[in-house]
Amino acid sequence: MVRRVMSVAPVLAILLFSLTGCIAPPQQLTSIGFVPPGGNPKIIVMRPDVAVDLLTAGGLLERREDWTNAARDNVLASLQALQARRGSKTRVAITRASAGGEDATVTELNQLHAIVGQSVLMHKFSRQAALPTKDGVFDWTLGEIAVQYGRESGYDYALFLYARDSFASNGRVALQAVGYLGCMVGVCAVAPGGSQTAFASLVDLKTGDLVWFNYMQSNEGDIRTQEGADVLVWTLLDSMSAKERANKGS
Amino acid sequence: MHSSRRQFMLGAGGCAACMSGLTRAHVLPTDLPPLVDVDYEPVDADERGIWQSMEQIEETIQASPQRLNAPELQGYTGSIIEQLMGRETPDLRIYLMRSALFNASMFPTGMMIVNTGLMARVRNEAQLAAVLGHEAGHYYRKHSIERYRSLRNKTATMAWVGAIANLGAGVYSVGPYSSSDWIYVAQGINTLVTMSMFQMSRTQEEEADAYGISLMARSGYTPDAASQVWKQLIEERKASAAQRDKRYRDRSASLVSTHPPTENRMKDLADTAAYLAKGSNRGSTDRRDEWLAAVAPHRAMLLDEQIKLNDPGASLYLINSLAEDGWNGLLRYNEGEIYRLRGETGDQEKAAEAYAAATAFTDVPPEAWRAHGYALLKAKKVDDGRYALNRYLELNPGAKDAGVVRYTLAQ
Repeated sequence: MVRRVMSVAPVLAILLFSLTGCIAPPQQLTSIGFVPPGGNPKIIVMRPDVAVDLLTAGGLLERREDWTNAARDNVLASLQALQARRGSKTRVAITRASAGGEDATVTELNQLHAIVGQSVLMHKFSRQAALPTKDGVFDWTLGEIAVQYGRESGYDYALFLYARDSFASNGRVALQAVGYLGCMVGVCAVAPGGSQTAFASLVDLKTGDLVWFNYMQSNEGDIRTQEGADVLVWTLLDSMSAKERANKGS
Repeated sequence: MHSSRRQFMLGAGGCAACMSGLTRAHVLPTDLPPLVDVDYEPVDADERGIWQSMEQIEETIQASPQRLNAPELQGYTGSIIEQLMGRETPDLRIYLMRSALFNASMFPTGMMIVNTGLMARVRNEAQLAAVLGHEAGHYYRKHSIERYRSLRNKTATMAWVGAIANLGAGVYSVGPYSSSDWIYVAQGINTLVTMSMFQMSRTQEEEADAYGISLMARSGYTPDAASQVWKQLIEERKASAAQRDKRYRDRSASLVSTHPPTENRMKDLADTAAYLAKGSNRGSTDRRDEWLAAVAPHRAMLLDEQIKLNDPGASLYLINSLAEDGWNGLLRYNEGEIYRLRGETGDQEKAAEAYAAATAFTDVPPEAWRAHGYALLKAKKVDDGRYALNRYLELNPGAKDAGVVRYTLAQ
């Protein structure tokens, strides 16, 4: 019924390539001198900020509660599986209340992370919006409120995850089809379809600083399914766990 | 192609005319039943999605440091809504927010924001009820979801018009045809569709006005208060513009405005109030004393917020309007502050006079004595000035600037 048509269409693939061309290939960023937490730090995985939207024919993103709830449950399950593999003192906050701090602090922290993360995406991964002051440095921070949360909750690090997924409506798909016809007669403007954007940050709760950041963007995948959520979580976090293992070994 | 474009332009003219006709149409305060009950829960997927995303916004508002911490005023405002609706209103959640701008807004889920800038301006309970009733109208008439669905349809229409025009332009780019006509026509149609979105918003505002005023009439508030709110606002904006040597211009008087022209709203509301008064024998009240008592503890903060907007024309208008009920120490002190901050030729003297006048009232704020004292010292009236500064320290011994004032006295 509702589906993505992106990957099947070569014309669109080219268009998308040109759209995403401004974004560097996924890479993780760390602050200078960052050493993955050694010893046995207490890490909290914050309740993931997940939303899934319907992309309407006219291009509006319409939040879908059922899809969002399913996707959040899936992402949480993926995170818990990751935690089970890692052991240590990592805890996954299933609800916001279980994150340990004051409700208002946790809410504000989650929202602040979404904004700061989008700012990192824009200014660090898009060449057009690169900032001279951020050239060669990675010094984003959630500031005092993160430190306050660290004091309240007793954790050393917090891992945040933000994920958005969207799916084209039937109307949007039909509109794209007309767009392809246009390409055949020389006027090529195909409306973009649904897409997936996600990022994750590790925040040092002693300083509030983002010490590690990773993002992914895709026109495939579906976090409404457990497999899709697993792919998202592992794509974002697996490289870090690999580094962590290397660090323990050394 | 050319003839078809002319026909299209004609169509546009016709429709533009019908739009401006609608703008001036009345929405009668009858036949506007609430579309949602007290325990309403959305069922449709689009509306459920909106409610879910609003939850996060409401949490932010709840925890916002911008919220006014005033439980009594909060409760009082809630009681007005209950009076208007004639029942308890757990479905409407009011948040008083510290913002000096005149505004209130309704969210799709029943969350209502009321700015302190509105509290600073209303003159009686009925005027506040007029605004609350209007906002309640947006909720009970389901305006948000209606507007969203219309937006969804219209953006889809625009996307289709664009896509088909592109296709047409491609097909007709060979031969004697001009392919750009397709694009022009598409742009014209889409402009009209955009205009119709603004028109819909204005129609909803009219309906909310009508809904609010019918609630007022039903619950015994003077319906005239609704148009009074707008009359005051127009006067204030004129005073503000005059101060800045500008001509007053209503930003709502435009085809791309989400709200009807302010003057039209005022007249519509006045007409509707007259219409409602004709059909009713029951008495109505503006409950001015109740309002004045409720707002009194916050008046100093409200005036302070307003004055810091650095809009002396509007601030003086507000002070003078409030002084129609009689001058007091707080109003005189703030009048002085407006002149002091404006700093035009002669303002220093006007400020000094206002501070002096403030000290003659029993409700004089301690700060007025300080301001009066420094004004006197500037005017070389040393003894009187020292007396005034000492009064300030007596009335406010723990003042943050007590040290500075003592230093002045020690000179």
